[in-house]
Amino acid sequence: MDIFSNLAMGFGVAFTLQNLFLCFLGCMIGTLVGVLPGVGPVATIAMLLPITFGLDPTGALIMLAGIYYGAQYGGSTTAILVNIPGEATAVVTTLDGHQMAKQGRAGVALGVAALGSFFAGCVATIFIAALGAPLTRFAQLFGPAEYFSLMVMGLVFSTVLARGSILKALLMVFLGLLLATVGTDLETGQERVTLGIQQLSDGVDFAPLAMGIFGFAEIIRNLENPEARDVVRSKIGNLLPNWSEIKQSIKPVLRGTAIGSILGILPGNGAVLGPFASYAMEKKLAKDPSRFGKGAIEGVAGPESANNAGAQTAFIPLLTLGIPPNAVMALMVGAMTIHGIIPGPQVMTKNPELFWGMIASMWIGNAMLVIINLPLVGIWVKLLKVPYRLMFPAILIFCSIGIYSINNSIQDVYFTAFFALVGYIMIKLGFEPAPMLLGFVLGKLMEEKLRQALILSRGSFTTFIERPVSATLLAVALIMLVIALLPAMSKKRDQAFQE
Amino acid sequence: MSEQISGEPDKESGRGILQDVGAGVFLILISLFFLWQAWDLPRGSLRAMGAGMLPMSIAVILGAGGVLLVIMSLVKGGERLTTPHVRGLFFVLGGLILFGLTVRWLGLIVAGPLSMMFASFATADVRPVEAAIFAVVMTAFCIGLFKFLLGLPIPIITFI
Amino acid sequence: MKKLLVAVAGLTALFAGPALAQNYPTEPVTMIVPFAAGGPTDIIARLVAEPMSRFLGQQIIIENVAGAGGTTGITRGAEAQPNGYTIMMGHMGTHGAAPALYPNLKYNPAADFAPIGVAAGTPIIIVGSKKVPAEDLQGFIAWAKKQGDKANHAHAGVGSVSHSTGILLNSMLGIKSTYIPYTGTGPALNDMLSGQVDYMTDQIVNLVGQINAGAVKAFAIATPKRSPALPNLPTTKEAGLGGYEVSAWNAVFAPKGTPQAIVDKLSDALSKALDDANARKRLDDLGAVIPEGAERGSAALQKLVVSEVARWTPVLKEAMAAQKK
Repeated sequence: MDIFSNLAMGFGVAFTLQNLFLCFLGCMIGTLVGVLPGVGPVATIAMLLPITFGLDPTGALIMLAGIYYGAQYGGSTTAILVNIPGEATAVVTTLDGHQMAKQGRAGVALGVAALGSFFAGCVATIFIAALGAPLTRFAQLFGPAEYFSLMVMGLVFSTVLARGSILKALLMVFLGLLLATVGTDLETGQERVTLGIQQLSDGVDFAPLAMGIFGFAEIIRNLENPEARDVVRSKIGNLLPNWSEIKQSIKPVLRGTAIGSILGILPGNGAVLGPFASYAMEKKLAKDPSRFGKGAIEGVAGPESANNAGAQTAFIPLLTLGIPPNAVMALMVGAMTIHGIIPGPQVMTKNPELFWGMIASMWIGNAMLVIINLPLVGIWVKLLKVPYRLMFPAILIFCSIGIYSINNSIQDVYFTAFFALVGYIMIKLGFEPAPMLLGFVLGKLMEEKLRQALILSRGSFTTFIERPVSATLLAVALIMLVIALLPAMSKKRDQAFQE
Repeated sequence: MSEQISGEPDKESGRGILQDVGAGVFLILISLFFLWQAWDLPRGSLRAMGAGMLPMSIAVILGAGGVLLVIMSLVKGGERLTTPHVRGLFFVLGGLILFGLTVRWLGLIVAGPLSMMFASFATADVRPVEAAIFAVVMTAFCIGLFKFLLGLPIPIITFI
Repeated sequence: MKKLLVAVAGLTALFAGPALAQNYPTEPVTMIVPFAAGGPTDIIARLVAEPMSRFLGQQIIIENVAGAGGTTGITRGAEAQPNGYTIMMGHMGTHGAAPALYPNLKYNPAADFAPIGVAAGTPIIIVGSKKVPAEDLQGFIAWAKKQGDKANHAHAGVGSVSHSTGILLNSMLGIKSTYIPYTGTGPALNDMLSGQVDYMTDQIVNLVGQINAGAVKAFAIATPKRSPALPNLPTTKEAGLGGYEVSAWNAVFAPKGTPQAIVDKLSDALSKALDDANARKRLDDLGAVIPEGAERGSAALQKLVVSEVARWTPVLKEAMAAQKK
């Protein structure tokens, strides 16, 4: 078998002392920076990319990949502990993960996230090694029209995120879509709703938005209800999931891995949908969906696996086509080019050591993450014991430095303050921020793809139905919407009967 | 799932503004703001969308949703708004803004302790001495981590 | 007391001024790169900054300040203290195309800077999808003219290098293709591989992998000389489109008012850095073009900026006005 000899070569490259060390170092630094509230993988890699420039190409990429996984995982840790998602894919983890932490089950949530991610990472590594090349052809089926339909499907998922009123959740999605229109118009370069602020011409940044609306608004809310936040401190339950919790998580992990792996291959950041899709699926399949949003372990296990699987398979378009599917991968391209490796379809044949070494290091990186993080779980959970009067100023300083460092910009710090105010108002008004963030993330892609598809079809909407993949996706979205609305309707009917 | 809507309508009867009335007004205001800002942008047609097409149409939907919320809330009642935690808002947001004002001007060595100290007062159980020591220690830690370990170009001291 | 202070301040100013320039640099120099880490400009900046640091005897720290097609970072650089401790890496977009694309631009590329020198440029290549029925530039031109607005021209977003250079190509040829905007070269290339879009122009760094693998058709490279990275690809001049010579040049600038002695020192360090064997090799690998002889230094850069602004402004203004209708 070719794969095995190739993988063996890869492990040969990755298992040198130097590369193992770099992988470990990358995972460690990535975790530590990624765990900073609001600083997700993109920001972490952008900050740390320069420190890899002095290494040899394979070592640099191995370390960078380590930083990537570390940051990804670190972001989930923050989402669970302090309810601040570092990037879009961690938004879902806040829903049940942070609830679990509030119930004193932070250790369990972190443990399940680590184990689920590790499993997903292992599967995804094999997936890439075995199917990477043929799968790129699948990705080629996705043009703008297909993407748009996929995003529509994603928006339908968002209604499932709602814990309270579906109407209010839907309106939050629209608010997110609206926020996503801020910035320079794609086609004409006209500034839209930027108020003349130069920073806004690239649109609203995810980090200040998420940090403000989730993190700081949550801090103010916690300051308001001292009782609520002390619950977190008083009960520290198990540090690791017990057997029944693991058993509960197995199926969600399997399903999450499958969903995440497939969506991750799509060029153009399909991976972002993975955790949302997984969460939606688990909630639909659950016997008692009302547990979701109140600390359901499946709501952490599934999305976290999907997240990590997608993070991994997102390497496929980069490694086989040389096309970066998202911002993280674009940074990887930069790292490759600075080392004189021009990414493209020939990397696999021209630099096989690099290619297979990197794939092998993905697996090693995942293993390292578990090794690094399981002991850290204890430390993270202990951090929750820090009195809140000290905790929130600490979060504030980390956030401030993190947000400043992403673009070396103080405006971003002010934006964070502004969004914190908005987020607090939204909490008071009973709105949930998660659907808004999903709308925001999908909105940018959606408008881009919608307009590309319409220009390509010269203004004909039938393009979305004529193309088979797109039509299928739209049909799935429609069916899901009907299923989502049915229980709501039947509830209304019950209500009508009662009255 | 929808306890808030289908629950007993008057469970928190009393005075104050209905939460969903506030929520609706909030959305209507945002909608109006975007409509105002995007008014002058070319809307184009469905065949050839202009820059203003999507902001305008989404804003209209959002505004309509806001109106719907207000009406439903007035008909069915629901939760009331609670008073905002002004102290928390002021000191936490103030801390952020202080950081922004001072970090490039004076450097992290001032911005760090200053913003942390200020923010500490957001809670009534603040202990000033403890907060001050903690702020200085954390800033030293951050300088070590970000500046020296990670080599980020964040200004440390700029006033000498 | 006050008088004393004034006197002291005056004295320090008197001595500090020339002393500063002579001993410069006594502390690390910050180079603002107006794009995110990892992009072509960032890579060139880092490759050049490393040997420059050695010749200056002080480290050059790269500070990435991305946003608004690079104009955010350059605006900040233009407003920095002109003491030689803040310099910046401008490029074709920020110092050529920006005045036409950003009506509220807060700086004047030709007047608000002390030019230090051109660092390196990356050549532009015209590529097409495999579905385009043409094998050379002339065949492509004939095809594109015949297609009219049926041809799909991809670009990586308003203000990007591929956008400006693409508009210039179309306007020179009188082609009326339909523009398909993307948010980066990656997604645009992806749709070109699957044949949804027909052609685009972009920097060699982004394309060389795809061209070598035969995934896209390369028609010509817009430089006077062929690139060693793609020796078989004819130049635009060879292929009969001599006027279309463009490159995404990158150049080092200091804020206006930086003392001449410091500018000269930096200019000299940059020139030496470009002769550094290691930096040269890495730049060659990227397919970058290194300025030689008279193309180096402050005067050459100033001339380049003036001519580039004059070249891009009318073409881009016309194209943007046509789109906004």
